[in-house]
Amino acid sequence: MLLAPLAARAGDVVSMNLCTDDYLVLLAPERIAALSPLARDPSLSVVAAQARHLPWVRADGEAVMNLHPSLVLAAPYGAQTTVAVLEGLGVRIERIALAQDFAAIRKETRRLAALLGVPARGESLIAAMDQDLSGVRTGRKLRALALAPRGYAAGPGTLEDSVLRAAGLDDIGRGGRLGLEAILAARPQLLVVADAPGFPSLATDMLTHPILAAIPRRALPPALLACAGPWSAAAVAMLAR
Amino acid sequence: MRYRASWALAGSVSVLFVLSLLVGPAGFGVPSLPILTELRLPRALLALLVGGGLGLSGAVLQGALRNPLADPGLLGVSGCAALGAVLAFYWGLAAAFAPALPLAGLAGAGLGCLFLLAFAGRAMSGPALILAGVALSALAAALLALALTLAPNPFALAEITVWLMGGLADRSLLHVAMAAPPMLVGWVVLLRLGPRLDGLALGEEVAASLGVRVAGTLRVAALGVALAVGAGAAVAGGIGFVGLVVPHLLRPLLGERPGGLLVGALLGGAALLLGADLLARLAPLLFGLSQEPPLGVLTALLGAPFLVRIARRVAP
Amino acid sequence: MIGFTAREVVLGGRVVLRGIDFRADAGQLVALCGPNGAGKSTLLRGLAGLLAGSRAPDPRRVAYLPQGARCDWGMTAWEVAALGRIPHGDAAEPPVAHALELCGLGGLQGARVDRMSGGQARRAMLARVFATEPEVFLLDEPTSDLDPAAAHAVMALLRETAHAARRRVVVVVLHALDLALRYADRMVVLEGGQVVADAAPVDALARAAAAFGLPWGVDASPRLLPPSA
Repeated sequence: MLLAPLAARAGDVVSMNLCTDDYLVLLAPERIAALSPLARDPSLSVVAAQARHLPWVRADGEAVMNLHPSLVLAAPYGAQTTVAVLEGLGVRIERIALAQDFAAIRKETRRLAALLGVPARGESLIAAMDQDLSGVRTGRKLRALALAPRGYAAGPGTLEDSVLRAAGLDDIGRGGRLGLEAILAARPQLLVVADAPGFPSLATDMLTHPILAAIPRRALPPALLACAGPWSAAAVAMLAR
Repeated sequence: MRYRASWALAGSVSVLFVLSLLVGPAGFGVPSLPILTELRLPRALLALLVGGGLGLSGAVLQGALRNPLADPGLLGVSGCAALGAVLAFYWGLAAAFAPALPLAGLAGAGLGCLFLLAFAGRAMSGPALILAGVALSALAAALLALALTLAPNPFALAEITVWLMGGLADRSLLHVAMAAPPMLVGWVVLLRLGPRLDGLALGEEVAASLGVRVAGTLRVAALGVALAVGAGAAVAGGIGFVGLVVPHLLRPLLGERPGGLLVGALLGGAALLLGADLLARLAPLLFGLSQEPPLGVLTALLGAPFLVRIARRVAP
Repeated sequence: MIGFTAREVVLGGRVVLRGIDFRADAGQLVALCGPNGAGKSTLLRGLAGLLAGSRAPDPRRVAYLPQGARCDWGMTAWEVAALGRIPHGDAAEPPVAHALELCGLGGLQGARVDRMSGGQARRAMLARVFATEPEVFLLDEPTSDLDPAAAHAVMALLRETAHAARRRVVVVVLHALDLALRYADRMVVLEGGQVVADAAPVDALARAAAAFGLPWGVDASPRLLPPSA
């Protein structure tokens, strides 16, 4: 594996979005000029541990320009005014595509790995992902419902739906916000929720209502599904276990 | 007339309570037992308790302060209770020790009442008191927004509407068990104030000459309101206008003697909130809304025109 | 029967009463007279135990009607009069009905006081005092807002109340000296916070007139006379 020489100037790539943070740290840590502040949040980022020792920058045109990046990674949403300013100043911007299924994740991982000049690392991420996905037993399909805080149900075309189906479950979510009675009316056999956060909110409190206690549930680390990427396959492996 | 009206109120509370148990997202009908006991029953009980407490508190505050605009929401008591509950809830205190939630609501409401009493003790005039209340409720709302902004949970700020407008969706029997005891104690404290409120109808000097201890009465009223409103706001947020509207709706039926309104205002508040909550649950079915409207939105839609009407009658 | 003693009463940094030693005995109608600011109302509030430091008397025995007392709610005359039963802690109806009858509101029991004329509302306030059935009546300007006939009727009622069985005492603050002259047994004249005369009304009149800065005398010009007994 080729590493940049130690004396070389600091990295030349700035990531301005949580999802590009994940990719950048996993694919090309030596090229990091700065990550977004959310990269350090363990409830959102899969690279929080590494990011604690890496520089970060706010979504601020001047702060980013001071880093003299040759490439800025961004998402299709969030900090769009800053991105537009940077684009106007002639900085190269690359927006990632937000994948909703594993085929798209495979494609996006290859594209970014090529862009960063590390295609081999991209292939090894994909290989690890495929290993997680291949370990799934296909048995009786449980009626499963992926619930976000406030009772928002995942539905067709979402990453959660792809994860549930990849794990051999029958995703009965159809999107939209469900009250507790509507959740019960859907007769789920398995609830898929995020790990409870360290501090409560009414949104997450609702999912601890005693009437849901009778339904089996699986809790996933929220960072695995916060952004779609090869790491999302780990959620499939956890559900299939 | 008065007895007939009281029985009619009690009857409508019963009917609305039963309807509350029979209406859900799927429409009208008898639900399965767990849904009935663990979802609809706590909701109906909380509507009854919170609404009754608000109606009763409004009647007592209007009588004790001799001001037709007095209301726990308008005077900021509900906002202070919600603020206390927010601090206990989002920083994990209530998760570690469940009764911390109603206790914090009580503490917030109690502090709000103390502020109003200290202010009312010096300047009893109606407009001054209402201004103090408006200042207190604006301060409580601002601190609430600040607390939710700084809360460690990322969803906290999105929940500001629940705390400012109130709501009863998806509460559990645990919420009822936590909030009911202090609220019921508050009811008893407030219901016993009747004769003393009557004594205040002709002013504080007459009240004192009738043997009514004025300062003591105001303190007991504040305590009762804090108990009846504080714990309720801790589990249902700051539902406004019930305390303002109910006594005004009932005076033409029950007479204007302050002490004669208390039981009616309790029943009327319970009926109003049960009805508003029923409407909130029916709105998605009747009007094809994607969500239930927040409960406080419905009470405000009813209450705001009332406030304008009262203000026009009170102002010269 | 009732009394108030004070070397000095200070309200808002101003001495409003000085060297007071007032007593009134059963069977008397006592009129407190004097110019505005002389301290009449303060003396009455002292008798009612409403001044800081003064002891509150038994509210079943002593009833007080302040100047300008008004009802904040649209209560009926009956409800207002029934407030007089609060000290007894009962809802006895006969004393309330009797009090309203005495005050000329027998036919207006169900009428709201906030929709009554000023005089009728004032009589409802007075009926509240009678409903208590007290021994001591402390009334601040009970005839304000009343027309002359009603004023005479109320004064006659108060005199009768004081004299009946000689069990009760009525102390009234009065601006209308002619009413005091005609009905009171005793006139107490206050000026600048001090009692400057305390005698039968006829004897105290000269001092009262001086306090008002008015001449007094006897004239024979036409005027209204009290109803013949």
